[in-house]
Amino acid sequence: MGKLSHADVVHLLLQLSIMLLVGRLLAEAARKFKQPAVIGEIIAGIMLGPTVLGMINPEWFQALFPVPSTSATILSGFVQVAVVMLLFIAGLEVDLHIVWQQGRQALGTSLFGLIIPFFIGFIFPYYFPDFFGIADTHQHLVFALFMGTAMAISALPVIVRILMDLNIFKTRMGLLVVTSAMIDDVIGWIIFSVILSMIGKHSGAMSIGYTISVTITFVVVMLTVGRGLINKALPWVNKKMAWPGGVLSLSLALCFLGAALTEFIGIHAIFGAFIIGVALGDSEHFSERAKEIVHQFINNIFAPLFFVSIGLRVNFIVNFDWLLTLTIIVIAFAGKILGSGLGTRLGGFSWRESFAAACGMNARGAMEIILGLVALEYGLINERVFVSLVIMALVTSMSSGPLMKWLLKR
Amino acid sequence: MLFSGVNTRFHKIGLAVAFSPTAMALLAEADRLARLFSAELILIHVGKRNPSEEEKMDILLKKTALIGQCKIVWREGKPEKEILNACHEENIDLLVAGALKKENMVQHYVGSVARTIMRKAGCSVYIANNPSITPKPIQQIVVNAEDSPHIEQAIATACQLATLENAPWIHVVRELKLLGLTLSANSQYTEQEYNESKQEMMREEITAVEKILATIPHPKTKINIKMVSGKSGFELCKFVERKQADLLVVGAPPQRLSLFDRIFPHDLEYVFADLPCNLLVVNLQKENYGQA
Repeated sequence: MGKLSHADVVHLLLQLSIMLLVGRLLAEAARKFKQPAVIGEIIAGIMLGPTVLGMINPEWFQALFPVPSTSATILSGFVQVAVVMLLFIAGLEVDLHIVWQQGRQALGTSLFGLIIPFFIGFIFPYYFPDFFGIADTHQHLVFALFMGTAMAISALPVIVRILMDLNIFKTRMGLLVVTSAMIDDVIGWIIFSVILSMIGKHSGAMSIGYTISVTITFVVVMLTVGRGLINKALPWVNKKMAWPGGVLSLSLALCFLGAALTEFIGIHAIFGAFIIGVALGDSEHFSERAKEIVHQFINNIFAPLFFVSIGLRVNFIVNFDWLLTLTIIVIAFAGKILGSGLGTRLGGFSWRESFAAACGMNARGAMEIILGLVALEYGLINERVFVSLVIMALVTSMSSGPLMKWLLKR
Repeated sequence: MLFSGVNTRFHKIGLAVAFSPTAMALLAEADRLARLFSAELILIHVGKRNPSEEEKMDILLKKTALIGQCKIVWREGKPEKEILNACHEENIDLLVAGALKKENMVQHYVGSVARTIMRKAGCSVYIANNPSITPKPIQQIVVNAEDSPHIEQAIATACQLATLENAPWIHVVRELKLLGLTLSANSQYTEQEYNESKQEMMREEITAVEKILATIPHPKTKINIKMVSGKSGFELCKFVERKQADLLVVGAPPQRLSLFDRIFPHDLEYVFADLPCNLLVVNLQKENYGQA
């Protein structure tokens, strides 16, 4: 194992400390305005990064976050691990039990909420790739597919929070929205993994047929055999090992193992972590308390590091393109509200309720940002598109609650 | 007897009987239930009717002193299908059958006769997983109060049984869905807000159960409302085992459970897969619903 210099250690610890501290302070400020913590954490990154600190005092910024440096490389490793863990808890949040319980009714809603935004998000970038800032003109189709996926995905935690604030979480509509969002997330991440494999960052692009079959096989095996094995192992872990150490270690070990496996077979690591999360979260032996601990550990330590790091790597002023941002926001709203609205209406709700549910589904939150960051790292999108996607994620997350409240109160 | 506007009384009790080692015990259990509800007992046997089979049946009935006391329906064909058809034709309200606590893996996925009856019966089903030749009164009853179209029927039936059996306690179990709270609590709630939200959620669930109980008479029986969180069905089984209950009463599944539900188990599928005690699946037919 390599050794860090004394200065690198100090630097790294200082970076982590400042990121967590400023991230927490601004997350608390966001909380005061009844907004998700992620909004405060992104703003913290923007303030600490090239956008604000780098503009006001470039020397300080360079001193605090020097690039290139060993500490920057290690920080990047931390962020990579954080993304994997965030997808892992996103998987834990997918409650297959609720999906099967509500699935038949929710399938229509979720498919409309997925297909229509995907189609609208695909068609415009496909015909106007230059306007949308395609990074690699050889990846025309893949780029359009990515934009479609980015429009189709939704942010379950934001949706759940809104539904709870409105006290409609346990109503028929609340469960329908949550289940649809879960189904959309699972399908959305499968599509995204296929898209990433089509680019082939390391070992060359895979054929679409091969990618789809590998991805589907992985999902089926993990959710049947893998889930069965987890179900057999967990009672033993709960009984014989220290709590919560045993279950926490096993959870994260499985998360990294799944991530490594998918990365090895050519699908992105985050997909492996996501599916392991789904399989583990579905086990009846994985208690609510254990889930809570894993959530708290990742959400309060690794998630802030990841979201603050977003603002550190991109200059939000230099890369801000208002027309592109506005277009992406309009497409995001139009696709999701139309698609999910129609889907919910077909589920037997009034138009007003259907559009309220669609506004809830419109929240993109953290998932959109992770999706955008991975696409940026793969060279699929440029920084302009990334900034627009982040802003779209924030706008949709912030507007979902008030819009839903307004529609339901009318 | 009318409980909460729901006619919970079973007028016709059917027993799916085969010449198995537990046949006598099952007959004794069914006979006891029939006496308890003052119901007519009908035996359903799937197998070719010939003198030798008839003789076996006579011997069985003589041993339990039921000979000439009950009607016997003979059917030929696939057991589960014929039993369910016979129930429909004979207008049976409650079907009694025996079942193993847990099936082997192949049987679990393929589906045994008893499990198919639990999943698909159009009437209420009483499953005895450990029948006794000298059955004892039911003392500890657990009832599942999960949101379902049959929740009121299930609670009313449990209360009626408890009254008839002089059972001192009924444990009403309801699931507290913490999913939303866990998700939204992360970095969003203070500890106090989190605890208050949890308390509020719990209060709402208890009130929902109390509302149902207020319409159902349970004069001598004490009610314990228990909230559980986790996978519903699985947590219910754990609670039943902890309480060493004699009977678990559940409402029939709102939709037919299929192989898919066995691969990805949820709710009642956990109960059906590994019976924690005797089970009563309440499914009062529509024509009886609300009638005296």
